[in-house]
Amino acid sequence: MLEINPDIQFKKELIKTSQAPLSKCMQCGTCSVVCSLAPDDKPFPRKEMIWAAWGIRDQLMGNADIWLCHQCGDCSTYCPRGVKPADVLSALRQMSYRYYARPSCIARMMSEVKWLPLALIFPVVIIAVILALAGTLKIPDGSVNYSKFFPHAWLNSSFTLITLISYGLAVYSLKNFIKDLRRQFPDLKFKGGILLQMLRSSRTIAIHTKFGSCSVNRFRKWAHLLVFYGFNLLLLVTVYAIYAALTHRYPLGFFNPFKILGNLAAFMLVIGLGMMIVKRLVGRKTVNSNYSDWLLLISLLLLTLSGVVIEWARFGNWGSAYHLYFFHLVCVWFVIIYLPYTKFGHTFYRLVAISVADAAGRK
Amino acid sequence: MERKTGIFICKGCDICTRIDTDQLAASSADETVRVVRGHSALCSASGYQLIMEAIGKEDLNAVILAACSPREKSDVFTFPDSLLTERVNLREQVAWSLEGDEQDRQLAAQDYIRMAVARLKSIRNPQPFIPKDLSDEILVVGAGITGITAALEGAKAGYKVHLIEKEAQAGGWSARLHRQMPSAPPYETLREPVYLEALKELESTQNIVLRTSTTIEKIEGQPGDFTVKLSTRGEESLKVGAVVSAMGWKPYDPTRLSSLGYGLSDRIVTNVEFEEKIKADPKGKLPGRILFVQCAGSRNREHLPYCSNFCCGTSLKQAKYIRESNPDSSVFIIYKDIRTPGTYEGLYKSVQADDQVFFTKGEVQAIDIVEDGLSVVMHNTLLGEEVSLKVDLVVLATGMVPAGTDDLNLSYRQGRALPELKYKFPDSHFICFPYETRRTGIYAAGCVRAPMDITSSEEDAAGAMLKAIQCIEATRRGEAVHPRSGDISYPELYMERCTDCKRCTEECPFGSYDETEKGTPQPNPTRCRRCGICMGSCPERVISFADYSVNSISAMIKAVEIPDEFEEKPRILVFVCENDAYPAFDMAAQKGLKWNPCIRVIPVRCIGSINKVWISDALSCGYDGILQIGCKPGDDYQCHFIHGSELTETRGENIQETLQTMMLEPERIRTEFVEITEYNRIPEIISEYLEEIELIGPNPFKGM
Repeated sequence: MLEINPDIQFKKELIKTSQAPLSKCMQCGTCSVVCSLAPDDKPFPRKEMIWAAWGIRDQLMGNADIWLCHQCGDCSTYCPRGVKPADVLSALRQMSYRYYARPSCIARMMSEVKWLPLALIFPVVIIAVILALAGTLKIPDGSVNYSKFFPHAWLNSSFTLITLISYGLAVYSLKNFIKDLRRQFPDLKFKGGILLQMLRSSRTIAIHTKFGSCSVNRFRKWAHLLVFYGFNLLLLVTVYAIYAALTHRYPLGFFNPFKILGNLAAFMLVIGLGMMIVKRLVGRKTVNSNYSDWLLLISLLLLTLSGVVIEWARFGNWGSAYHLYFFHLVCVWFVIIYLPYTKFGHTFYRLVAISVADAAGRK
Repeated sequence: MERKTGIFICKGCDICTRIDTDQLAASSADETVRVVRGHSALCSASGYQLIMEAIGKEDLNAVILAACSPREKSDVFTFPDSLLTERVNLREQVAWSLEGDEQDRQLAAQDYIRMAVARLKSIRNPQPFIPKDLSDEILVVGAGITGITAALEGAKAGYKVHLIEKEAQAGGWSARLHRQMPSAPPYETLREPVYLEALKELESTQNIVLRTSTTIEKIEGQPGDFTVKLSTRGEESLKVGAVVSAMGWKPYDPTRLSSLGYGLSDRIVTNVEFEEKIKADPKGKLPGRILFVQCAGSRNREHLPYCSNFCCGTSLKQAKYIRESNPDSSVFIIYKDIRTPGTYEGLYKSVQADDQVFFTKGEVQAIDIVEDGLSVVMHNTLLGEEVSLKVDLVVLATGMVPAGTDDLNLSYRQGRALPELKYKFPDSHFICFPYETRRTGIYAAGCVRAPMDITSSEEDAAGAMLKAIQCIEATRRGEAVHPRSGDISYPELYMERCTDCKRCTEECPFGSYDETEKGTPQPNPTRCRRCGICMGSCPERVISFADYSVNSISAMIKAVEIPDEFEEKPRILVFVCENDAYPAFDMAAQKGLKWNPCIRVIPVRCIGSINKVWISDALSCGYDGILQIGCKPGDDYQCHFIHGSELTETRGENIQETLQTMMLEPERIRTEFVEITEYNRIPEIISEYLEEIELIGPNPFKGM
């Protein structure tokens, strides 16, 4: 039996985050009828909507189902009361980062525009300190060579270290998340361990099966595919670049296959992100976009664009090249290091939730 | 008086292409028929003029219009009251609907004219019955919001109203409310109870006499002439013309709700008790967490099977009290369905918008006392599983039970209360006549009639008062109130032949008949609805109406010429109820449906008015079968006279006896029930019955 004790603060926070008129829900279940994810025996997302209206945080935070939702917006389109279940689920995911992330204050900092200056100061100061320690905190002379400004050894080791700290904390958060998910699936067992399960589940993610089952927003599947593969390609290229740097073959020439691949990936990202941004601007009525949504889209876009620009700056020997490079590193920080604390954390949480749902046999 | 009849045959609307109207005119001779005329369109100005000239010239006292259905052109075919009028339905029942050859239709048309002539010979022009001491004052029983509103409406219409209340104060349940559900746009804010204004208005209205702490000892008499004996003031009695019963409701007995924890703790109260608590101390501190259990005992076969209509709105209203008095409070509402019809949706939405009011569908499984409060276990909730919730107070939204009408103390042979149908609400033909009860002149309004809220009660009060006024005015003219509005005929009893068998007193659905001390039926004509069920019930044929009598229908039956050759021309007599079945025949014909020409139709006021003698008359005349078509009986009956069609089933045994003594098969008579919308069944009903008759063969009395 579930003991319920409505958490009014949680409900208020959810209403604020989602901008959805949660209380207007008349519990009719239209959202469950149109949702392609709703199983036959449990009305998703109606029960989530009622838990939300009742402020039952524990049922919503450790909930795999809200992570299976790709916010296609079918439910919001058909909701007779305009309650926007898609926005509520999206808000619940954002609140999950805050709920699970450690230290949670960083997630809070990333969730509101008023903390943006603070979020910027961290990378700026820390990168400056690292540069100072490396003794390169000045604009180098001569033709543009970024390693003169930020020696590869320093760059790779410091950024790797900080990322490992951030992701290490994320693993701790995800462990708590899985613990909570077990409430929903008490008999949960991973065949061959959770990592193998994740690998198995990645298949559906790779081809975006669930995304394709939405009826209202097919367009979004393609935008997300472009961003997804563009980003992963860039990750691959970056790993190769680190390898190249270690073996003194860096920087890469313009016609190096990895360089070409990197530029292609950047192109995919820009197109994909552009589609997403246009969609969010045009579809404001059906899907609410808040600060977290924009922060991810814009930081990813700036990361990509600044990457392309510093490439040009290097070939063109621009005077401002090192400033732009510094900006690019701040963008990297926002996207990669802050990942578990922002909407980008969905890459982790969603992968875990889909793996858990697959392992538990949720259809 | 010598009958002088004129027959006018219309040739329009295709009648003359399907029937030889000239031949029909030639074959309509009778000693009472003074003139026969045809016209291309009787309903035209020249057609009407033709009729009026003939009436004047031949000094006619009866006319037969052989044209369209009597349901058509009634605005055109109006004649002086002194003139008897008979409409022969040539168009719908012969020309448009009968299959077969021209001869079949010709025979049918001739029969129908003969039936009309025979009927006119055997009826009289009815004279109205008007009681001598007519009162136009109105009694309203119960001074709750319904009674007060009814009284005010009656007084405004110019009638003197006696308003009686058994409690010491007027106001009823509405006076126990702290606030009332919204009644003005945007239907979100609670209002002051309306009874305050109503009471003020009552005091300032001249024509109303309010008696509190008063009950009724006895109501005697009939519409226009009721004598009401009151309990309190010694021998005081009132004379009134009509009664409005606004006797209200009582809350469902919560002690029967022990499954919902009632009686377990002071923390479990009913909605009525909660309202009283707020009313007594509006500023008192309310506990922080309050749970409302909707449908507490309602929509439940073991308790009240129906929805009481007001409980959802009341709980929403009370949720507002709580939220307004304590901003930290939480209100939980567990419902089966939230039912906020009409403008109450505004109230629902405004409460729903409050983030500290929590709704879910569900059922309470158990309520237990725990430290500082109650633990409520709910299942079948939309929350997905069994849940438990800790609260400080539980409010059970209990429903309404009608207060009942025993206290009317009617001195009617059939009992002192208004007859009930389902759930102890008074029986009325709710589809057509919501305020009517089965006691003419006594109209039920408000929660005694059906569960409802204050606004609906006020509307109901106005409606019932209007019916009471209508009754008084109709009675003043000697007319039936409804459903045969305006009918001035009434049952006349030839008492010399009465055997005091009491069938009429028992079978009258409206309790028209009382009994004298000797046990002889005593008619009360203004209670009568003119259905003729008493006429059908009487084995001695004592009861008849001036224009609708045992003899007049017998004469029509006998006027039909029954051919000897069964194979080609069987004859089936069809008694058709005027209320639904007759219009269904008309509609079928108008929609182009066709049926076998073997039938001869006789309209009856209700199939409950069919007298056994008509059956034996028809069978001895040689009809091969008899079909009676009436309205649907049962719990959701459509019979305009409550159980007229049901009676044909209970009387069936008697009729079977008649068939047995005549050595005839039981299939010679069949009853069918038809709703007005089922006109498409008419051809099928006839052909199916004909097939059965063809199987058992001709009536052996044929040609005798």
